[in-house]
Amino acid sequence: MTLLSEVKKDYGKLKNFVNGEWIDSTSGKYIDIENPTTGETIGQVPMSSVEETKAAIDAAHEAWWAWRETPPITRARLFFKLKEVMEPHFENIARIMVQEQGKTIDEARGETRRTIENVETAAGIPTLMMGYNLEDGGAEGIDEDAVISPLGVFGAVCPFNFPAMIPYWFWPYAVASGNTYIIKPSSQVPLTQNYLTSLVEKAGFPPGVLNIVNGSHEVSDTLMEHPKVKGISFVGSTPVAKYIYKKSAENGKRVQAQGGAKNSLVVMPDAVLDRTISNMLASFYGCAGQRCLAGSNLVAIGDVAEPLLKSFVERSKKIKVGYGLDESVNMGPVISAKAKKKVIDYIDGAEAEGAKVLLDGRNVKVPGYEKGHFVGPTVIDNVTPDMKIAKEEVFGPVVGYLRMNNLDEALDFIHSSPFGNAASIYTQSGKLAREFRYRCQCGNIGINVGLVAAMSYFPFAGYKDSFFGDLHGQGQDAVKFFTDRKVVITRWF
Amino acid sequence: MVECDFPECNTFGSVIRFALELEKGASGVYEEFAEEPKAAPAAEMFKALAAAHKKRGELLEHTRQQKLNEMILEPIQDMDRNDYMIDTRTPKGVDAKAAAMFAAKIEETSAKFYLDAAKIAKMLMAEAARIMDKLGKESLANKAKLESM
Repeated sequence: MTLLSEVKKDYGKLKNFVNGEWIDSTSGKYIDIENPTTGETIGQVPMSSVEETKAAIDAAHEAWWAWRETPPITRARLFFKLKEVMEPHFENIARIMVQEQGKTIDEARGETRRTIENVETAAGIPTLMMGYNLEDGGAEGIDEDAVISPLGVFGAVCPFNFPAMIPYWFWPYAVASGNTYIIKPSSQVPLTQNYLTSLVEKAGFPPGVLNIVNGSHEVSDTLMEHPKVKGISFVGSTPVAKYIYKKSAENGKRVQAQGGAKNSLVVMPDAVLDRTISNMLASFYGCAGQRCLAGSNLVAIGDVAEPLLKSFVERSKKIKVGYGLDESVNMGPVISAKAKKKVIDYIDGAEAEGAKVLLDGRNVKVPGYEKGHFVGPTVIDNVTPDMKIAKEEVFGPVVGYLRMNNLDEALDFIHSSPFGNAASIYTQSGKLAREFRYRCQCGNIGINVGLVAAMSYFPFAGYKDSFFGDLHGQGQDAVKFFTDRKVVITRWF
Repeated sequence: MVECDFPECNTFGSVIRFALELEKGASGVYEEFAEEPKAAPAAEMFKALAAAHKKRGELLEHTRQQKLNEMILEPIQDMDRNDYMIDTRTPKGVDAKAAAMFAAKIEETSAKFYLDAAKIAKMLMAEAARIMDKLGKESLANKAKLESM
């Protein structure tokens, strides 16, 4: 099969987008952007300085009041325009994502669609941010109103696994609500977001309303410390989420910080095995296991364990690993050599603890892509709840196989984890499914669905160490995060 | 001869790519038959079928862009591309009847592909399945029309 063409071989030195202008970073520091499949350098991203970040914050702050005074329907119109501008670029967005992140073209197209869906949902802002009132709510002749108001400048610190979508969980809702925004894309995958921002520019958003500052912790720390920034959105690992939450809160900011995960998929004896396995393959191996919603532990209940394992391993062997621009590839590489080493260390560690590697992806080779950071599908049997592989986030295509006697045991195991991002059950029993969704202390619950990815009009939830904050990204939650309720009590003499 | 590059059918994207290659192949074959002097009595029909297959390609592109749901992107492991590849080496100097019989085989294979793909897509995306089913039925109707010449 012929590879789909790359949008560009080399994207050169990226610029920041501040106050409606693409400007070169003055820091003089750049790092290479690597294609994780080929190992080739495909561009350089600036490590912007504290001063450059402050300049972007000032620009966003200056733009804020005029934008806040722009009627919601006019703001919404720009999001309709943005959707219209994005659609013809759909394939380019997806292909750039494959180049810099390594996911498959199907996954990248799916992510592009979800990105656009967030723009579509934010375009409903006149309805989404309506307030409420009560005549005579204060006393006779005294009315009370709750007005929903924007707050100012917000910022996002973004991860490498969803280069397009995750910034769009936040900024469209913030900006549609009347705030201004600064995105710091992941320095490993900045190309997609920079490309998308060129489309935002084409759509005609006023200068300073959306800004991109590329870089590393200097940018993030400045966003978290600066008094003009009202809140921070973050997605990444739990240790960093905790740091962001603490530091931002110390500086009086709103925070929504999504952390790591260790998601279990529980298969009951009455599950429809064929469909269950197809669905689980997507959960465990999609994006090479680098989703915060990826399945990680496969928990087999009772006598389903043996037939499920046999069939799951057989079908895992058929997963085709390669360059995501080949449409017949099922799984791409992990993001970097460092990430690959970490995944392999976890597999080695599981073996050392007594687990049995039934399908071993450690030495997978993809002809033509010898420099790619590939780990093949890996299934580890005889995993027990006390093992590191059962407890810690691997972020790779590795399945820990556990056997348990009943749903109670499975729930106890899930609840023993510090994480609470997602969990799924596969069953034909409505009663068991209901019990699972009722009792399970995770933010995203799947019933015969292994990838519980909330659509743009629902919040992307998360409990315990998987989320720090109270209002999530996407939909109504996002609008609430980016606005406040102003109460007005009125009496006329 | 129309060059086609048929991929394995193991992802949603590759199934759509396969379908696009089928449409490109079919439309190219019809265009070549429309130019064949001995098949001149059927030239208008071949032109119309070529245009119809191009339109089907556009529908498939639209489906790929609009209907893909990332949540249920499951690997496809039940389709063998060898069952659906078409012969696009258009025979030269054939009359309308022989050309129609050649094209009918393409439609027959296409119909099998779409109807099988529809069954798989039904489990993943109802709207994509409906489109596949529609294209399969259209191919069967085209085959019947060609064979009745």
